[in-house]
Amino acid sequence: MTASELTTEGRVGQDTGVLLEHLFRHQVGRVVAHLARVLGPACLDLAEESMQEAMLRALQSWPYQGIPENPAAWLFRVAHNSAIDSLRRGRFLEQKNGVVLAELTRATAISSDDPGFEEQLRDDELRMIFMCCHPEIARDARVALSLKTVGGFSVREIAGAFLADDAAIAQRLVRAKRQLRDQRITLDLPGAADLDQRLDSALETIYFVFNEGYAAHEGEDLIRRDLCFEALRLGRLLAASSIATPLVHALVAVMALQAARLPARIDEAGDLILLEDQNRARWDQGLIALGFHHFDLSIAGDQVSEYHVQAAIAATYTRAADLRSIDWPAILELYDQLLAISGASPVVALNRAVAVAKVHGAAEALAEIEPLRDNPQLRDYYLLLAVRGHLLEELGRREEAAACWRAALECRCSEPERRFLRRKLAGV
Amino acid sequence: MPQYMLALYDDPSGWKQLSPEQMQKAVEKYTAWSKKPYVIQGKRLATDLGRVLRTTNGKPRATDGPYSETKEVMGGIYLIEAKDYDEAVERTLDHPHLEHGTIELRQLYT
Repeated sequence: MTASELTTEGRVGQDTGVLLEHLFRHQVGRVVAHLARVLGPACLDLAEESMQEAMLRALQSWPYQGIPENPAAWLFRVAHNSAIDSLRRGRFLEQKNGVVLAELTRATAISSDDPGFEEQLRDDELRMIFMCCHPEIARDARVALSLKTVGGFSVREIAGAFLADDAAIAQRLVRAKRQLRDQRITLDLPGAADLDQRLDSALETIYFVFNEGYAAHEGEDLIRRDLCFEALRLGRLLAASSIATPLVHALVAVMALQAARLPARIDEAGDLILLEDQNRARWDQGLIALGFHHFDLSIAGDQVSEYHVQAAIAATYTRAADLRSIDWPAILELYDQLLAISGASPVVALNRAVAVAKVHGAAEALAEIEPLRDNPQLRDYYLLLAVRGHLLEELGRREEAAACWRAALECRCSEPERRFLRRKLAGV
Repeated sequence: MPQYMLALYDDPSGWKQLSPEQMQKAVEKYTAWSKKPYVIQGKRLATDLGRVLRTTNGKPRATDGPYSETKEVMGGIYLIEAKDYDEAVERTLDHPHLEHGTIELRQLYT
């Protein structure tokens, strides 16, 4: 989805009353970003309350009066008027109130199809992403703040996706906002001096959100899918900005190429389908094209990051016409590279083992993952046990394979993963 | 054909618990319902509680609402056509408001 919702009508089916997908959620990001820049980042709460008020008013009037011509502009205007009312009531007293009021009033009068204004809104949103992803804020707080403030997710939705309770997420948000105040973090875009560091922090946050959505742990499926697409949206916002570097394009490429496989990953019954058994016709061609577009842009420059290698791996899978033509030696080589960049991450080593099995056989792969069994990071990690079981099965060691799958069932994993393991057990 | 009025009551504080996505879904469901061919029109009521007028000690007076003790307030009304109460009820049973509050159904004499 592009960032031009304010100028487009924001309405898909005039007769059915259907709005542009996620219109409210995305408008939260834009309107709050704009209000926070005008009011100052210290008034983030007022910005959020004003937008909440605008959505409540929409809820009270649209069902009876119909959806307005330009719903996005309507929400923008009503949120601004609500902020003006709050300032006038003196709930948020500040010396510069007069200036702020004038600026807010001016914004409500601007024509929403002014391209300069559209650009301003995109810039505001970009600033907000960088503020929410500031390296001074702890990662879990950064993630919660970005999803709430930029992504328009509710506390409950974030809690649902991360298997946390509402109070814990609310606490993270309070902590993040306190850090914003204490560290005097502003909405300034990073300059040349801190660009790399702040970009790294933003990309790390976005990739974390994507992986949380992508990794099929527990949690509500729909929200998790939304997390993937929100991460992709944020990545694309950065990639479309003047700050975009090859690193940003590499991240967008990984996310787009992986997200393209989401529709093929689960069958009608909600059961997990391994990459090898996926119906390639169900891969999203639009996302694949997007992924390759950004992959091409990521090659400029000589930096080779984790995102670059991940994108290259995803691209290799995607390029293969069918299962048999996957270039496993190339994938193994990329995993070698990734292992070196990641500082011998055990999770990467585990994924690499799958490629080792394809190139050198199950016995060698099994030998490679033996040391991982003692790694505390992978203790109770169902995937290690599942992969080990798979390799043992290939070697005909069925009893040991079954023991692995039984142990894997004891670990934290999703319902589809659980059913997958049970099917394997039943087949032994 | 006879007309019926749907008066929609709800506790407005309940809406505040919804996420932006849920709010959008609610707006879409209500709007889709209001496009049904037998819906004549919808009117939203102002969010204040209005006034109550009555005569006490022979003198008519207005006081601020609410009129009842419940937390639910009337948020809006729809007019629909139906041949009788059974059909009016039938046509109202799938109203998305029933997930949030109550609907009072009254026939209008036209």
